[in-house]
Amino acid sequence: MASPLLQVLLDGLFAGGTYALMAAGMALILGVVKVINLSHGAFFTLGAYVAYALAERGVESPLAAAPLAAVIAFAFGVFLGKSFVNPARAHPFALPVGTLACALLFEQAAQMVWGPHPLSIEAGAPWIGPGGIVIRRWGVIAFLSSAALLGGLQWVLSARPGLPLRLIAEDEEIAGSLGMDVEAIRYLTFGGACAMAAAAGALLSPSGAVTPTMGRAPLLLSLVVVIVAGMDSVGAIFLLSIALGIFGSACAWFLSPQWSYVALLAAVCLLLSARPAGIVVTAGRLD
Amino acid sequence: MSVRTGSFSRLHLLLIGSASLFLCFFSLVLLADPTFAAPRPDALKIGVLAPLSGPYAAGGTSFVQAATLAVEQANAEGGVSGRLVTIVVGDTQGRVDVAKAEALRLVSREKVSALVGAYLSEETVGVMEVAAAHRTVLLVPVAATAEITDLVRREYARYRYVFRVGYSLPQWAEMISAFLSDRKVRRYAFVGAGIRWNRELGETLERIAAPRGITPAYTAFYSAGNPAFDTVAVAAAAAAPDIVILADPGRNSVSFLKRLREAAPALPALSIGGALGDTRLAASVPLSGPVYVQAAAWRGVSPAATAYVERYEHRYGAPPVGYSDTLPYDAVTVLVAAWRKAGNAATEAVVGVLERGTFAGVAGMYRFDAAHQAQWGTGPGALRGTFVRWEHGGARIVFPPR
Repeated sequence: MASPLLQVLLDGLFAGGTYALMAAGMALILGVVKVINLSHGAFFTLGAYVAYALAERGVESPLAAAPLAAVIAFAFGVFLGKSFVNPARAHPFALPVGTLACALLFEQAAQMVWGPHPLSIEAGAPWIGPGGIVIRRWGVIAFLSSAALLGGLQWVLSARPGLPLRLIAEDEEIAGSLGMDVEAIRYLTFGGACAMAAAAGALLSPSGAVTPTMGRAPLLLSLVVVIVAGMDSVGAIFLLSIALGIFGSACAWFLSPQWSYVALLAAVCLLLSARPAGIVVTAGRLD
Repeated sequence: MSVRTGSFSRLHLLLIGSASLFLCFFSLVLLADPTFAAPRPDALKIGVLAPLSGPYAAGGTSFVQAATLAVEQANAEGGVSGRLVTIVVGDTQGRVDVAKAEALRLVSREKVSALVGAYLSEETVGVMEVAAAHRTVLLVPVAATAEITDLVRREYARYRYVFRVGYSLPQWAEMISAFLSDRKVRRYAFVGAGIRWNRELGETLERIAAPRGITPAYTAFYSAGNPAFDTVAVAAAAAAPDIVILADPGRNSVSFLKRLREAAPALPALSIGGALGDTRLAASVPLSGPVYVQAAAWRGVSPAATAYVERYEHRYGAPPVGYSDTLPYDAVTVLVAAWRKAGNAATEAVVGVLERGTFAGVAGMYRFDAAHQAQWGTGPGALRGTFVRWEHGGARIVFPPR
């Protein structure tokens, strides 16, 4: 085996990739639809169950499951966005409660359909790199997928196709006065973000156990990443995810695994107290 | 004022549709759930406390399924003096406050004659207070902390209603230590969820295994929020133990084992706490190194164990994991046997019968000591437990030698 510390840092990089993968969709919802979607973790879980259902039928590649999971989650997300999120946006407290209720309902439904017992998909052997370093397959997938998703998001937001999203994020009234269908763009964005969460769940499903509540921990961490990084820079979300992944792994190695979560949250609190609006914010929002 | 009829009717349709779906969904749930079956007025009620939601829902569900199976078996054998036995379930959610509230509800509102549960040690210590205050018999199937039987020993008059069917931590550590010795293990890594029984079991095992020359090479407990499995797996492998003991009753055991296999493909692992006894999971776990599971009983250990596994599999479609189901099954079986011997469910009479009697269960013959602890371990006449090794195609019993 390679140097354990080197291995821990590499694993931290991959863990950061998983945070970024979840945070990509969350950033889209927070930035454009401007709601805290507490059902985001449920879509991650949905993706994992789709991958499991396909694996049971002989399709064991998470890469094959991800598009199907994304399509299903997009349909659910659009339904949820149109029927609940858009009408309830005027009531700020209704949305977190409502989306949390949706998440709990999904967990119960998943428990009814697949049972509460953990399910598992074969992860496949890892690759062995130079010096015997272990390169975990799911880690590479998470890292590359998050880089691609966030890179794509950055491109969309900075190029012409992303103009409506940027405009709605800046000022909905102006967007509406220019003839844009703001409501439709909002629920389609919501659906797209849900699709990203489901794709993440499908891609990461072999790394652990598939259970109805598996989306809770990634939900919290991705929410933390997006809030701390701020929604103005997709690159900052990616880099902060990676930094937190490495920081969490280093704390687990040097301190103790049970302290890594505490240390992670303490670091987040410090960052937020220093920069309440997020690490990267445009000059106009620093007031 | 104008009414937008289009959106109005669509909203109504949406609401009516959602409400209908909810009603259908929950009607099916209620009809399928044995705990919602129409109660018989003369039936003897057992209050079953287990987490049916939250991180330990898998173990809790097995718990209730096994208790249901035991009650069905008891009723098929004629019940208790002609009276049927039913169960009433309380969902503890893996939380102490909820476990106590549910125990109180079962005792005071549902008027159960005895309690079986709870799941976690923390919950069970809380439930003991309710059982003591209401003088209700409590059979503890899986919670292992020493505090439970210590309380019975120290304050017998108050806690004499509490009996532990499952193994205590010292008994558990003794069984694990004997297994490690049989496998010629000298150094082990102890890794698990950061919950009470794990920490106490880690300490107890260290103390009990030391005289056999077996010492810990690495110990770590992870948090549920950020388990850092990769780091723990790398650190455990770097410590070069002969085996990794994985103490986790929940889903994280699967995630950790996968990471461990990536970090050290051939390192043997021993799972305690039940999760990896699940056949469905074992099928996807890498077997590049030995994977052992400790259980209370297993198919093939005895005719009773084999019959139980077959009944369970027939009823629920998958075999039991051998821990969070087998011990609750035996707890209900022991309770019903005590009721039969006492001729009724009166608490004082049942306590006397449980203290003096011997009771047949799936894992063997149960008898309780002065602290109301069932006799598990390696001594003569003790319940021995079982260690199996997963292999391609199934599990093989490897310890104790048969």
